[in-house]
Amino acid sequence: MASVANPSTFMSIVRFLLPKIGQCLFVVWATYTVAFLLIHALPGDPVLAALSVKGGDATSTDPAALDALRARYGLDGPLLQQYVVHFLDLFRGDLGVSIATGQPVVDMIARTFPHTAALALFSLVLGFVGALLFTVWAYIARPAWMRNVVTQIPPLGIAIPAFLSGLVLISVFSFGLGWFPASGTNGFVSLVLPGITLALPTGAIFFQVFSAAVFDAGASPFVFTANAKGLAQRTVVVRHVLRNALLPSITIIGLQIGYLAGGTAVVETVFSRDGIGRLTVDAVLARDINVVMGVVVVVSVVYAVTTLIVDALYGVIDPRTRTRITRTKAVSA
Amino acid sequence: MTALLRVSDLRVDYGSGRRANPAIRGVDFEVAPGEIVAVVGESGSGKSTISHALVRLLPDIARIRGGKVEFDGVDLLRAPVSAMRRIRGGRIGFVPQDPSHSLNPLMRIGEQIAETLRRHRGLSRADAAARAVEILAEVGVPEPERRATQYPHELSGGLRQRVLIGIAWACEPALVIADEPTSALDATVQRHVLDRMQSLAAEHNTAVLLVTHDLAVAADRANRIIVVEKGVIVEAGIAADVLSAPTHAYTRRLVAAAPGLNATRLKPTIAVVDQHIPDSTEPLVTVSGLTKTYGATGRAKAAAAPAVAGADFSIARGSTFSLVGESGSGKSTTARMVARIIPSDSGTITFDGQDITRVGGEALRQLRRRIQVVYQNPFGSLDPRMTVEKIIAEPLRAFGIGTRREQAATVRELLGQVRLAADLRTRRPAELSGGQRQRVAIARALALRPEFVVLDEPVSALDVSVQEQVLQLLVDLQAEFGLTYLFISHDLGVIRQISDRIAVMKDGHILEQADARHIFDDAEHPYTKELIAAIPGARR
Amino acid sequence: MSILRKPGLLLSFLMLAVTLLAMIAPQLLAPYDPYASVGAGRLLPPSPEHLFGTDHLARDVFSRVVYGAGLSLTAAGLAVIGGVIVGSVIGLVCGYLGGAIDFVAMRFVDVLIAIPGILLALIVVATLGFGPLSIAIGVGLGTAGSFARVMRSAVLRVRSEEYVEAARTIGVRGSGVLFRHVLPNAARPVVSMAALELAVAILSVSALSFLGFGAQPPAPEWGALVSAGRDFVAIAPWLSILPGVVILAVVLSVNRVSRFIGGDR
Repeated sequence: MASVANPSTFMSIVRFLLPKIGQCLFVVWATYTVAFLLIHALPGDPVLAALSVKGGDATSTDPAALDALRARYGLDGPLLQQYVVHFLDLFRGDLGVSIATGQPVVDMIARTFPHTAALALFSLVLGFVGALLFTVWAYIARPAWMRNVVTQIPPLGIAIPAFLSGLVLISVFSFGLGWFPASGTNGFVSLVLPGITLALPTGAIFFQVFSAAVFDAGASPFVFTANAKGLAQRTVVVRHVLRNALLPSITIIGLQIGYLAGGTAVVETVFSRDGIGRLTVDAVLARDINVVMGVVVVVSVVYAVTTLIVDALYGVIDPRTRTRITRTKAVSA
Repeated sequence: MTALLRVSDLRVDYGSGRRANPAIRGVDFEVAPGEIVAVVGESGSGKSTISHALVRLLPDIARIRGGKVEFDGVDLLRAPVSAMRRIRGGRIGFVPQDPSHSLNPLMRIGEQIAETLRRHRGLSRADAAARAVEILAEVGVPEPERRATQYPHELSGGLRQRVLIGIAWACEPALVIADEPTSALDATVQRHVLDRMQSLAAEHNTAVLLVTHDLAVAADRANRIIVVEKGVIVEAGIAADVLSAPTHAYTRRLVAAAPGLNATRLKPTIAVVDQHIPDSTEPLVTVSGLTKTYGATGRAKAAAAPAVAGADFSIARGSTFSLVGESGSGKSTTARMVARIIPSDSGTITFDGQDITRVGGEALRQLRRRIQVVYQNPFGSLDPRMTVEKIIAEPLRAFGIGTRREQAATVRELLGQVRLAADLRTRRPAELSGGQRQRVAIARALALRPEFVVLDEPVSALDVSVQEQVLQLLVDLQAEFGLTYLFISHDLGVIRQISDRIAVMKDGHILEQADARHIFDDAEHPYTKELIAAIPGARR
Repeated sequence: MSILRKPGLLLSFLMLAVTLLAMIAPQLLAPYDPYASVGAGRLLPPSPEHLFGTDHLARDVFSRVVYGAGLSLTAAGLAVIGGVIVGSVIGLVCGYLGGAIDFVAMRFVDVLIAIPGILLALIVVATLGFGPLSIAIGVGLGTAGSFARVMRSAVLRVRSEEYVEAARTIGVRGSGVLFRHVLPNAARPVVSMAALELAVAILSVSALSFLGFGAQPPAPEWGALVSAGRDFVAIAPWLSILPGVVILAVVLSVNRVSRFIGGDR
């Protein structure tokens, strides 16, 4: 067994991680580029649009004034210059200035990020646990009809629009029973209903992957061997089925970040919570390109880092990947 | 002597209600302590179903309809599940079929053996781990202490199968059921693994129920043979008797078709006057110095081992030249280079006096009219969405030969030549059997009236009785049309039936090449001798 | 017919048929003018005369939902069709040609998939302006990425099948192989995915119009109806919930029918 203190193992770990880090940087750069291209390739002048939302018909179209404003928001100069300058600014933590509020974008995001993070984490955990429970229940349910019913329930989580489930929850638990607040960002109590709303689609996705993985594992030859060895059922389920099924399930955490990023926009609006989602919605309503761009970059960084951690984790947990990393050869015969 | 295992009137269905498909239809047999009984049958015969039914590990869709399985006083079909979980592994061991997936990929080898020891023998963790290493040594795994800490993907197929055998024997059961334990292995490896199993059985006086499709393997290893066809036992008896004097027609067909048990080259069944005489004595195909290395370019490629390292041979017109070798020998790569499917790195290929090594583009396409290929996988090589008619006519269509009506007539003619009914032409590949699909592939290859056909393991995926029919067809077609064959196979038994000249390959090198008779009677290279000795059925 | 034995499937077909009718000929299903107040009273609960009740401007909500079908579903349909066409072309080219083109193009497709669909659509809406067309383009871009990837892996898988190689050895030319063997066999997973993506597109489009980026009031786009009813959720929850339930019902029906078409009976 290779010991971690071994210098050649260290080198192989570095060789494994380096391209992943490169991929991470690439995703952030590519996201920035795609967003930049979209914004400037689509018709419409961002500054004019944002200003006309703010000022209505009274917006002045004086070229000199407009140019001054453009310079203020970093939207002046040739496109290539904007592209490069803004990209380099990212490394300094400068995401530009909001056209609608005039504040630095990075401050606006930093203020709202913790609320969204709390909501996202809560939903992830809730969804994960719920999906796990449903999966185990479906696996050990004996009558075929019960298993059918149990497996039909979680996919509903994706089909229900988040605004519908949120409003139903508000209707029943806030206005109806008065257990939880219908809006606001204070304390854990206000996190419950939005958390449940967001946990429905995340749990559904977890369930789809878990149940497919558990089903695959259960039908696989090595589980047959485990049964043929006469092991107790609990041993077979935990040591052989679940352990092998949970492994591929880790990889979808990156996908979940994507869903959460989109879902928070709706959920924070329905529940009037502070957060990046609501920040983005307000920014779009105000046609505030700088803020939208800033949010996109931040989300892609979170996504890239999460994917990196998940990949690294995979390398630690899966012995097959570990072997490929340290390049031990199998002896034949 | 009281039987260890007694099966009476076992009945198993797949599916239920109106869609029930009876897989086992009333099967009776016995296994005495310490004896090796082989259950032989082709795919779909129900032999695997029998083995799984005995320990009640059938898939959910199967239902045991009736019968009794008495093992050491207990009726296994009616015992409670908890009792079965004690008997499985503890008193009945099971060696499953697929070594590449039958071990948990996330668990160390030693632990997978120790698990069953702790469960049935109550050993402590430390004792079980130590005993697991001993068991690895007993099944012939080299460096057992190191191997016990490794994971399944770090072992080769043969080693994994030995681990599975070790797991089955770990708790010293009275009976071991082995379900096709060596089908996925090379012939030489298969022989060693079966040797080991036989010695384990003798040492521990274990009864073995060996399920196999290979009658020759059964002949070598078993005391008694049971022959199963379509869910029913058609013949049973002492191995030597069943093979020398089979009473049932199906058994006779199996014995006659088993390549390992047959020592003769097939002869064309058409009249001598209809046979084609080659019009030249020059070899049709000459290959010289053919080399191919896979891998990236540059330094990595120079350092990698070549898949084919300088092949030289020539093929006479109207004859069959065979390349035989185990997996990884380079035989398929060589064939694909000769057929110009993949490019070679160096060397030359001469076809009918013309150098075709670097031919490309339209010239290569035109060459296809004279050189054709038949692939191993009869399902994979036919487009699942096309009808038989379209498949066979496609080469004609590609070269614009004949009108629609003429093409249809040609298709009918070809179907007749490969002995398929003309009304099959509207079917799709999924509706045909393996043997029928392969005949369609052969008909397609003949459509352009080629001179040279490269056949890459064309019968390996077929049942034994069907194998012989297809081989006979190939021999007849060769005689009638003067075809020249390059035949690839890993199965020396099949090779013996069809070849004029044979080349033995290993690790990319041709170790020996000579006329077929010379290879089998006076092989010179030690590897060739080992391959011949590994042919099951040779031990009788 | 065996379809009668599966109530879920039957209901789904019926739902889709009704929805289609609402899209093509809303006047046949809607009892009232969706833009005019009916004078019976504001914020009335559901009743036989007003199946979904009335809103704060005394308009019949059921009629508004019927007229909204065309707005919401056309945008979703356009998004998916556009995504399929663009994505399939990219996937086909990448999968068949491989090499540098494949590498570069797929890295950008990966990014398109990595950016959450709604964010992508938000970028487009923020730049182009509000309205159903912007939403359709935004949602379509996201699906194009997924289709490109699915088509590409289908093409790669089919390309390595033996019958494709066999086609070359019997003399079929490159273009023949592509159009007669690769494309028909690779198209199947894309088609079954398109049906599922339609359901997702309906959800995305209605979410975006809920947030206010779709057709502006008084257009009765479904998401906008839910959003408008939000202010009254304490006293008239049906205003938001019923249009939301209609969206849910359509999405479930599309899912069920597309599973049926895909072979999972």
